[in-house]
Amino acid sequence: MSMHTSLRRTAASITTSTTTILPSRLPQSSTTFICSQCRHATLLRRPKRPYTFTQLITLSDGSTFTHRTTSPAPIYRSTRDTRNSVLWNPSSSKLMNVEDDEAGRLAAFRAKFGRSYDAAAPPTDDNSADAKQEAAEAKAAQAEEDSMLDLISSFGKRAPPPPPEKKNPYKK
Amino acid sequence: MSPMRPRPDVCRTTSAIWNRHPPCPPRPVRAHPIQPCAIGIEINELPLTQTFSFRYQFRSPKYDRGPLHPHQPPPESHPSSRLFVPGPFSSPRAEQSYESTVAPDIMTLCYVHTPPGFKPPPKAPRLREWDDSSPYHKNRVLRGPRGGDVLRLLRKPIKFNNIPEIERITIHSYVKNAAAENSTWLHVAGIAVQAISNMRVETFKSKSSVATWGIHPGRDTVAVKAELFGENMYHFLGKLVDVVLPRIKDWEGVKGSSGDSSGNITFGLEPESVAMFPEIEVNYDMYPPKMIPGCHITLHTSAKTDKDARLLLSAMGLPFYGKIVN
Repeated sequence: MSMHTSLRRTAASITTSTTTILPSRLPQSSTTFICSQCRHATLLRRPKRPYTFTQLITLSDGSTFTHRTTSPAPIYRSTRDTRNSVLWNPSSSKLMNVEDDEAGRLAAFRAKFGRSYDAAAPPTDDNSADAKQEAAEAKAAQAEEDSMLDLISSFGKRAPPPPPEKKNPYKK
Repeated sequence: MSPMRPRPDVCRTTSAIWNRHPPCPPRPVRAHPIQPCAIGIEINELPLTQTFSFRYQFRSPKYDRGPLHPHQPPPESHPSSRLFVPGPFSSPRAEQSYESTVAPDIMTLCYVHTPPGFKPPPKAPRLREWDDSSPYHKNRVLRGPRGGDVLRLLRKPIKFNNIPEIERITIHSYVKNAAAENSTWLHVAGIAVQAISNMRVETFKSKSSVATWGIHPGRDTVAVKAELFGENMYHFLGKLVDVVLPRIKDWEGVKGSSGDSSGNITFGLEPESVAMFPEIEVNYDMYPPKMIPGCHITLHTSAKTDKDARLLLSAMGLPFYGKIVN
């Protein structure tokens, strides 16, 4: 950087501009000193630049753009990028992790076997609330039907005899 | 290195000389225009776009021999200079979207209307006077602001000529194993950072002592840094935002409290995230898997407050989360 400075000169100025990564080549101290008469000559190193290629990036929705990169692959296809990531598309319902419960079976299961924390959970959205309500209605109708069937089948029959008392072998 | 980089205005005299006397002599002007010739092409009928090998060509001196030497190297921006870096060669996508969309939007968003003839109320001076309760207050330097000695940057109203923009991006990687073990860690980190940034890296020695890692100040080379300007910077930013960050698992965004309250925002990437860059992914097997470094990425913007910087960066596609500070 400071090739043409007249007064201020750092010991590391040349090496930092040429950017070597070998630690042994680096100067030992980085102190700044003022050199009013520089008698020495400093080597003007040619800057080193890595070779770059042009790469076509294809995003997941098919849009493309080119960029310069050190990667030699001519095309990069990304599977996960800003177009299909939830963080960049917070309102997209397609990407959101919503429970798919159209038949209401999960809600019915939860109503039957769920513990307090998930049985009493508020409905996540309208869809699942409807499904839950439908499931509850269906369940009530099923129970009613069962009781009616029981009535019909039990008509004209005597009450079933009480179950025979089991013999207790240890009781004499 | 690129023309966008602010250079210290080092030597006016030499640049003036170089502007007055261009080292490349003007192209020879042909007296007679080239006639279509049926026979053969003679030497003097070659198209003049070629350079002649026998023509005088200026070569920059290999050494800088000081300001008083008669033989001065040309300025860094001159094509014949040994330090010349050509470019920019492309207009990156992120830069185009900044210029076409983000900059006008920010200018419109930050517009504050004042009716004509409005004068803002005078503010108190940033450095306070001493009350002359003591005779020793005479000629004493002014007091700092209340609540700390730090003078914050002055935020001027954003107009067409000071729309915040990204000035440079720093990729920094501190490799703690480089001191305790061998230098392979540093080489791998340097090459990885070079691959993702298109720039040669600089190495740095430790300034502080970390006894648990066996790091001694001034002895151990522990860090690797690449500074990106202009074209490289926008290529890196576009690649980072569009491809790399969405692939990081459970990444929430950049922390809202990040930043140095003068418009520079930093965030870190884990080694697994650095491995997701397309350049590292394409030949992942070449890197020792344990040695791929994590890095800190600092986005230096010309905004004067973190709020403006966050506005700019979120418009460029960088999400922020959590409590917003400053």
